Amino acid sequence: MSSARQIHGEEGRAYWAMVLPAFLVYLLVIGFPIVLSVVLSVSDYSGGKMFGGESWGFAGFGQYARIASDPFFWNALKNNLYIVLVSVFGQLPLGFVFAYLVYRKLVARPGFWQGILYLPNIISIIVVGLLWQTIFSPRGPIGAVMNAAYRREFQDALAALFASRGGFAPTEEIARGILELAGPAGRALFSDPVAELRELLLSYPAGGMPEVLDGLANLFARKWSPEFLTRPDVAMLPVLFVILWMYTGMYLILFLANMQKIDPQVIESARIDGARDGQVMRYIVLPALSGTIVNSAILAISGSLSSFALIYSMTGGGPSRVTEILSIYMYNNAFLGRPNFPLANAISLVIVAISLGLIAATKAVEKRLGGKEE
Amino acid sequence: MAEGIPTGAAGRAAQAIAKAAAYALMSLFALMTVYPILWLVMNSFKTTREFQVNQLGWPAAPTLANYAEAWSYGEFGKLFPNSLLYTFGATAGIVLLSALAGFAFAKLGSRATRPIYGSFVIGILLTVNTLMIPLFIEVNLLGIYNTRLAVLVVYVGQGLPMGVYLMTEYIRGIPTALVESARIDGAGFGRIFRSVILPMVLPVATTIAILNISGIWNEFALINILVSKTELKSLPLGIYKFSGSLSSDYGKQFAALTIGMAPMLLFYLAFHKQITQGVSAGAVKG
Repeated sequence: MSSARQIHGEEGRAYWAMVLPAFLVYLLVIGFPIVLSVVLSVSDYSGGKMFGGESWGFAGFGQYARIASDPFFWNALKNNLYIVLVSVFGQLPLGFVFAYLVYRKLVARPGFWQGILYLPNIISIIVVGLLWQTIFSPRGPIGAVMNAAYRREFQDALAALFASRGGFAPTEEIARGILELAGPAGRALFSDPVAELRELLLSYPAGGMPEVLDGLANLFARKWSPEFLTRPDVAMLPVLFVILWMYTGMYLILFLANMQKIDPQVIESARIDGARDGQVMRYIVLPALSGTIVNSAILAISGSLSSFALIYSMTGGGPSRVTEILSIYMYNNAFLGRPNFPLANAISLVIVAISLGLIAATKAVEKRLGGKEE
Repeated sequence: MAEGIPTGAAGRAAQAIAKAAAYALMSLFALMTVYPILWLVMNSFKTTREFQVNQLGWPAAPTLANYAEAWSYGEFGKLFPNSLLYTFGATAGIVLLSALAGFAFAKLGSRATRPIYGSFVIGILLTVNTLMIPLFIEVNLLGIYNTRLAVLVVYVGQGLPMGVYLMTEYIRGIPTALVESARIDGAGFGRIFRSVILPMVLPVATTIAILNISGIWNEFALINILVSKTELKSLPLGIYKFSGSLSSDYGKQFAALTIGMAPMLLFYLAFHKQITQGVSAGAVKG
């Protein structure tokens, strides 16, 4: 008896010695902050020393009311829900399709495709954000490609015009033709278009066709300045695109790994019985992956609601706060201008609550659907 | 019933179309990944002046000046060692603490396991990002704002729920008889952990390490609120310096982004097999 108790004592000591380091760090980083944010969200703490500084105390639930009546909160929440939707109904199905293509060997070199599609996950989110900010900006390749095409189109039209008039000459007729091509914006550059343009044409050296084409294209070809990230009504679209682009590869890997766990003989015998690709997918692959799909949806939801760095670096929440998400809305209330820590803590808890609520809803849907299957 | 199997020319045509569609879709996605990166790297070798007139072509006169300037303006020489310390320090901490706790949860009987282990599992769903404000206040309260210790503790803490979960489930699969026979031979629990458990958990330890290394190396949101001194910052904070007012110095910004991308690209090239395996193992949760 006494020896059993002694072992128990030793086992107990060993247990706590091994569990406590992890548990204390966990409490410090996750447990205590939650308690702290509950306390601070109903307080009037205004920063500074927490003890021995300015006194602070209970101030009621006013911050929550304030959140509920702030249109910027609802805007941020809406954006977060867009991200959740793109994740659950964009990344997941696309990732599934990609995984299926690789799994059914519809594409050669599966490792290659997997490797490239997962690549965005490995790059620092800050790099991703700044890179796509550049790509969608006027200095990015989208604008450059479009403007190069406009320029070529204009120069081809010019060349055709000259050819139809028997070559380039600074005549009034050609000047009129050029102005026709240039459109109203081009004509607006001059006060007396035909005369002034003829004068300009005269300044080119005889036979200097390339210079003429270049010079006129600089002057008149259409120029387009991409406004993806500067127009408030569309700015959220590039952000959602990048989110779709970034994480689809992760779900490809998750789904593929679980498809590969399906016994190939089950599929083989179904095919022998005459099952088509669609039926194999519907009756074998999808049911086998239902658990993985639900877990992925949960992963997508909690990831979507906590995302911060991508939008922080890509748009900073702008233009005029339209791409703000909850985490940035929270961050700005705590660190920009006059900090409002009670408000920021209340927002933090609201995010946690929404995230857990959505996850519970996903679990509930799984139960309903799972019940139907059986 | 044989009507289900597509046969003959029609079947082959349908298969060919499906194949073409599959390639088209995947190529589109691959292109959207590879082209932006190539475009970035290519333009990082152009002067800002050349970039303004040539945004699409190869650099006419490739220059490394952007890299030299970006390196010194971003103070990457100071940030690189910090990133290494945070990444490998925190990863080692996560693996070790997870293994210890996992061993206790899986093989040592205690009534405390249910609530404590349960709280770790719930923690998988609570991303620390959402707690950055209370965390910032807590760190100030403890007087460890602007210290490497705070960064390390927070990074270990955010990796623990998943790490503990994976370790515990893995160690549960190790036969208890191994632990018991070592006990009978008179080994203490510390000794059993070191010589029986540790060697056996290498595969899952690798998974946990892989999952955390790229995550911590790239982490931005938390370290952004934990430190403000350059000497303590990590690479992502240094790269972020190149946004905003400096973003019009394109060449320098592109070089900084390339510097920021390179280490993880190399890591990925070297370990992409382990990384893919780790990701699929890490996301299987109950």
